[in-house]
Amino acid sequence: MAKSSEKRLLSEDQAVELIALFLSSARLLISEPPAYGPLRLLTATERLSAMILDDASPTTKKLLQVCIDRIPHTYTLANEVKEYAAAMDELCDALGQCLVDRAKLQGGS
Amino acid sequence: MSNPVLENIRTRRVIREMTDEPVDPHHLEQILEAARWSPTGGNQRPNRFVVIDDPELQRLIRLVAPGMFQHAPILILICVDFAIFHHQLDPEDDPLYPIDVGKAAQTMALAAHSLGLSTGPVTSFNKAAVKKILNLPEQVIPCLFLCVGHKAPQTQFAMRGAQRIRWQDLCYRNRYETWDR
Ligand SMILES: Cc1cc2nc3c(=O)[nH]c(=O)nc-3n(C[C@H](O)[C@H](O)[C@H](O)COP(=O)(O)O)c2cc1C
Repeated sequence: MAKSSEKRLLSEDQAVELIALFLSSARLLISEPPAYGPLRLLTATERLSAMILDDASPTTKKLLQVCIDRIPHTYTLANEVKEYAAAMDELCDALGQCLVDRAKLQGGS
Repeated sequence: MSNPVLENIRTRRVIREMTDEPVDPHHLEQILEAARWSPTGGNQRPNRFVVIDDPELQRLIRLVAPGMFQHAPILILICVDFAIFHHQLDPEDDPLYPIDVGKAAQTMALAAHSLGLSTGPVTSFNKAAVKKILNLPEQVIPCLFLCVGHKAPQTQFAMRGAQRIRWQDLCYRNRYETWDR
């Protein structure tokens, strides 16, 4: 359950759109190339980022913008494991920063 | 490659970013007529073509088609009518229909390219959901969407292949002897 102090970022239509993507992918991936699994997760991430961008907090917005900007290029690397991993590490770095900022963690070097 | 047919084959690319410029109805008919000339196994003609130009139906299809990156003005769905195979025990035993679908798809893609249009095939879609959305009869199986439209000017998203492939890498002589030997 979302904390009551947090506002809703998704409409019902948007939630159904994501469910459609998850369920369709879960069915299709049984017979698709292994590299398509990460692609479908990236598609979902990109779409969700676009859906909530306008109403998100500035901290989250930074992460969402990175996802929207970088994911289309990352798709093209699906067949090149090293480049794909490097591109994903950059996205995950932005994710880590967002989590730290949101949790207001202090200290460390 | 020197003649226009070979040049057309060589220069066609799968396009995933399209503009919303509509497709000329006369061009659409020429593409569909090209599909009619595509050969089928046993000349059984099991392919059925559904043209989807209704934006709401297109939106619903995109929701259940993770492999459809295009926002194309026209979708052509190639289906197979399994009622055609009524005299056979089970068309899955020795299936020719995927070959029929593939031939029709490529024939239409090349026809579209020759008319200055772009296409992209999509098979990564949820068949059960598409059957419901398009009200397909039970025995009609949706197999491949061909997105048809005009190529957007921006860079296209294309999966980079692991390596460049020459035709010789794919071809063998006689008893599977490599071509370059
Ligand atoms: C049977 C078949 C199914 C395909 N399905 C999809 C699909 O669902 N989504 C997609 O983006 N591309 C799809 N493609 C496109 C391939 O990824 C494409 O052939 C490949 O990227 C080569 O592109 P090119 O012809 O521009 O060189 C499909 C191609 C074929 C032949």
